[in-house]
Amino acid sequence: MARISVPTTARLPSTLRVDSTNPAVQKSLSRLSRESLISLALDWLDDGSLPNAIPFLQRADDEDEDPDDIYPPCQSPDELRQLYLEMQQQKGSKRDVISRILEGDWRHGLTLYQLAMGDLAYFEQNPTSQKWSAYQILPLLPPSRNGEDEEILKVDRKSLTIPRFHPSTFLQNLQNQVLPDVKTHYQFHRPKDLPVLILRIFVIDSPYTTNLALSSRDGSGTAANFDSSRTVYIAFPDGVPALYVTKSQSTGSTSSGESKSLQSLIVDGVPKALSRPRERYTLKSSNLTSRNLDAILEKKGSGRTNSAGGGWSIYSDEKKKQSPLDTVLPTPPLSRESSDSSIGQKRGAELTPVQRAAKRAKVIAEARFGESGIVTDGRGIERVEIVLQDTFPSIRALAGDDDYERDADQTGDENRNTKRRRSKIDAVIREANSLDDDDDDVVMEDAEDAEDSQTWTPTIKISFQGAHVWAGVRQLVEAGIVDGERMPGWMTGEDGVTTGIVRHGRIRGHKGSGMT
Amino acid sequence: MSSVNPTSESDLLDEEIASLKAQAATLRKNLKIETSTILSAASTHTILQPSAMTHNLRRPNPARKKLLVESDKQRAYMQQCLHRICSSVTSFKVHDPDPNAVDGGHILGLRFEVMSRGQFLRPYYVMLNRPYSGSKHLRIHRHTLPPAVPLAGLAARHLPARRPGSDEPPQHDLDRFVRMLRREIVRYHNRLGVSADLRRGLGLHDQTAENLTANDIVDVGIADIEAKQIRFTWADERSGRVVMDDDGKVLKLMVFGKQGRDWETTKELYGNYDRIEDVAKRLREYAQG
Repeated sequence: MARISVPTTARLPSTLRVDSTNPAVQKSLSRLSRESLISLALDWLDDGSLPNAIPFLQRADDEDEDPDDIYPPCQSPDELRQLYLEMQQQKGSKRDVISRILEGDWRHGLTLYQLAMGDLAYFEQNPTSQKWSAYQILPLLPPSRNGEDEEILKVDRKSLTIPRFHPSTFLQNLQNQVLPDVKTHYQFHRPKDLPVLILRIFVIDSPYTTNLALSSRDGSGTAANFDSSRTVYIAFPDGVPALYVTKSQSTGSTSSGESKSLQSLIVDGVPKALSRPRERYTLKSSNLTSRNLDAILEKKGSGRTNSAGGGWSIYSDEKKKQSPLDTVLPTPPLSRESSDSSIGQKRGAELTPVQRAAKRAKVIAEARFGESGIVTDGRGIERVEIVLQDTFPSIRALAGDDDYERDADQTGDENRNTKRRRSKIDAVIREANSLDDDDDDVVMEDAEDAEDSQTWTPTIKISFQGAHVWAGVRQLVEAGIVDGERMPGWMTGEDGVTTGIVRHGRIRGHKGSGMT
Repeated sequence: MSSVNPTSESDLLDEEIASLKAQAATLRKNLKIETSTILSAASTHTILQPSAMTHNLRRPNPARKKLLVESDKQRAYMQQCLHRICSSVTSFKVHDPDPNAVDGGHILGLRFEVMSRGQFLRPYYVMLNRPYSGSKHLRIHRHTLPPAVPLAGLAARHLPARRPGSDEPPQHDLDRFVRMLRREIVRYHNRLGVSADLRRGLGLHDQTAENLTANDIVDVGIADIEAKQIRFTWADERSGRVVMDDDGKVLKLMVFGKQGRDWETTKELYGNYDRIEDVAKRLREYAQG
């Protein structure tokens, strides 16, 4: 126990111990598998992290051993290391390891550092355990003042600078943004197989940076203190001015409003921490949320795939080298030869109409999705929400139009169909062209809505859910359930968003453009 | 010994099969190359031309027709390749498969060639469309550029969007946009190349743990998004950083020890550097003591 506890604005030290009887500690350890528990303990005993994770050892002058002690304390970290290495070879239950850690070697409590490592080990074990939202880092113009003391901040669209991120400077600045009645603990971590740097932020409501902030020993009030703690992760991807934030997770029961406010606090504080004198940045949500970091890294990562999704992915494929020095005629991606060889049919063989339709559907799916939306690519997005704001097709158009009736004979009057479709597209384009600009188009659209109030615009929300949403859509196209030619572009996932508003058949804000 | 024989025999056969397969693959590749060369040759084209074979006009030869089509395709492709080799930015037309695409799905594609160590890499693509009614103003639709290239800023400068309040059309300069963009791409790749050169120049590949001294550099890496900063680490955990400008000229050199800035080493390494090769040379001299 510290002698005096003075409220400060410093961060929580890594060596601060949490009582090992704390249910939160037990909960966080019991999530891990036996193997990761042992390797975690070995990591704690590593020379680099030992100062922050000192185990309970027998003192040299302390001779009186407790005979009832099930886990007699070891003499040195080396001995302990040996012990855990042996445990790695043996078989046993997970519970034994947990009780060995909590009641034996770290009976005096786990440090915040150890808890952070435990949480991060859990993240390595279950990479999809967190739900990430992607944000873009955008430069701001120098603020202009409008008479009063209010600063107007505008995004500098013409800026060519790309923000730089330096972990320790960032942390220092972030700490300055933290309010004095909240204490935080930070831990950086680099996952093994992802090009991101993860920052774990552990937040607790306390003015103290000492044991007082955590201890559950004195009376009734402080145990609730740990319950109010929350954990937020921020991931900094390599080579891209973006970051991913998770929803905060509390150990106790907190209202969703509270955790939301913490996230917004972080979203407010992070750009300030990234900014430097005369160089300001802001965060902009990119409407992309997923549990799969790989999927987010594809859409907001450092590669070529950021704004070339769906069918455009054929242009971003790094493996295909199209050197102009190679004079061999490349086989176009959709040519008969390439598709034939993959399906494995003889060219001469007559195809039944069903087979031909299936093959056609497959080729169309290839055209619309390119290399994306493959079930096994490990880039599945689990939830997509789209709001449709297009006007309902008028009754007159519906009456004679089989465009919207799936059971109509589609092959019979293909010509008529395409003709009408084209005219409809033209109308949509004309409409779109009448109001086009960057992103402050709300006013104009409202005006237009008032103009043709006869048309009915129902608000339709479509939600796709599954293990890999875009792969599912692709399979529907391949199976011929969704018409691949008439399917709108946002159904291929090429806009790289998981929530969006569709107007005129395209995701709004993007205007069908990969630029944001 | 007898037990070894059958396995070695099967191994030999496997080896032979593998080598034959490799040979077949090379031959097939050669065949393709030779076909394309023959098809694209001018003399082949004149032979295939029906005008030279007037007596065949009555009885059109389907095989010849097919060959002619193939030859035309090949020649077109060769011409495209030639353009790509000679000018590093080429354009092409594509069709947007989205039925709701603006401007009927007409897309102008730009292809930016990048080279590294004498080889053509996969080009970068920028797709432009025309979403504005009645005007020819372009807008970026899709692209495959890395985030290190400030595409959005360049587009805002040279291909500005029409502001909602103003009537006057924005000034577009596609030519300038393309030139600036290509410059940024090439600069970025050159900076990447510089850090690779530094790594090679310091001989990081042929180092072993035994012959390492405290002043040897063990790691060189790029420290920021735009590849303008290079980080290097000495064997005794001191780390340094080189800051370059857009064109890869050295601006600053800093050294950090375990406790903040290491002014000693900074002083020793201080010099008027122009290119990263000078830094590599100085670092090598420093390592040798």
